[in-house]
Amino acid sequence: MPLKWVLHWQPNAGTTVNSQIINEVTQCVESFNGVKEGRWKATITFYKPMIREQALAGDFPRDFLGIALPEQPNKYYLIIRLQRIVLEADSSIQMIMEKLQSYKSRVSLNFEGFQYQLGDFQLRVGKVLPTHSENLRGIVMEVEYLPISSMEKARQVMEDFMDIWQQALSKRSLPGHFMHMEPNFAEYGLADQYTSQHTAVQYATVMAQLIATVQAVQARN
Amino acid sequence: MECVVQGIIETQHVEALEILLQGLCGVHRERLRVHEICLKSGPNLGAVASEVRLICNLEQTEPTWTVRHIGGAMRGAGAEQISVLVRTMVESKASKNVLRLFYALGYKLDHELLRVGFAFHFQRGTQITVTVASVNKMLQLHATDEAVPVTPGIQLVEVTAPATSENYTEVVAAVSSFCEYLAPLLHLSKPGISTGVVPTAAAAAASLMSDGGGEELSS
Repeated sequence: MPLKWVLHWQPNAGTTVNSQIINEVTQCVESFNGVKEGRWKATITFYKPMIREQALAGDFPRDFLGIALPEQPNKYYLIIRLQRIVLEADSSIQMIMEKLQSYKSRVSLNFEGFQYQLGDFQLRVGKVLPTHSENLRGIVMEVEYLPISSMEKARQVMEDFMDIWQQALSKRSLPGHFMHMEPNFAEYGLADQYTSQHTAVQYATVMAQLIATVQAVQARN
Repeated sequence: MECVVQGIIETQHVEALEILLQGLCGVHRERLRVHEICLKSGPNLGAVASEVRLICNLEQTEPTWTVRHIGGAMRGAGAEQISVLVRTMVESKASKNVLRLFYALGYKLDHELLRVGFAFHFQRGTQITVTVASVNKMLQLHATDEAVPVTPGIQLVEVTAPATSENYTEVVAAVSSFCEYLAPLLHLSKPGISTGVVPTAAAAAASLMSDGGGEELSS
């Protein structure tokens, strides 16, 4: 399948995300003659262990995530980031997790927005929102390059595209920039050929970045 | 949900059962070789103790994994009157690192089994699966190549059919009526209620085997 990079908006120190930034980013995509194709939505759920004795909480992963991706509507991804595990399963695994009553979903975040086609590239810009809330927590962007599925072979073309994109966006003097943090896929047992498991791992990485950003802001205040 | 019944048969009569099943189902048997790993939640994990099964299909060139959760059986007067167990069952295919994930989540190995035999999947009023397999235990952890039978000379027969809360009565009826055809060779009942081997098995098997031979001669 075509590879993609998942990027997150890194606000400048002292600033936060707001919907004006989304509008500017969207206008920027449209100025590239991007063809609007419709909505997309991914969801990340944080799972928390249900523990009988709180003193032993350290024995269980605290960064256990479930991810639903629009590119694989019948699949679900479970990730334990610190242990570098990504599991691909059917959507029904969510029902199994519920029945086991060993982990419960604590909070869910939606990543949602519009999809655009720009020649061989597909762009998705999205807001990060807690479910049932309009409280903007972050901005993400997916850049997908349709002709290639090897991460390494596509690296140059992706970097070139990102240069052009960042240049165009910088003209708008926004208080931040999109950042690409490439996870070490090999640590998760993933190869160079792109799969949806790569996407899930990227979302988990973006999530960790968003949390770190929020924590940094809170620490400053 | 699924409907399920189980029974046992002596290995010497399995060939006759296969001939009977082949005739009843009209499909070819599939070889069955599955490694089943049963995990239980660690002592401190979960609102209640929980159990999950990881099933590795070794018949595929690249083994495939399934997570299976078997829930409680349907209860009540209605459930007791029927001869088929109706229970919740949820399955999900998973990538091959599923055992590692469950260990990381705090699940522990309870036991593991290797089932070797064959299965028939067919439509008869409902979608029915019949598996006939010897159940083997591993002498060393995950050593499926060195498995030994748990009950030598005896194989486990399982008839299952997927159901929903809307249609389970029809599925139960379809499973029960199918089981009657197998009655001369084995008795099928709810799991956990063992009824042993049937006394007519040897005679029924002999008859089936000779019929099978006859067909082959006349063809």
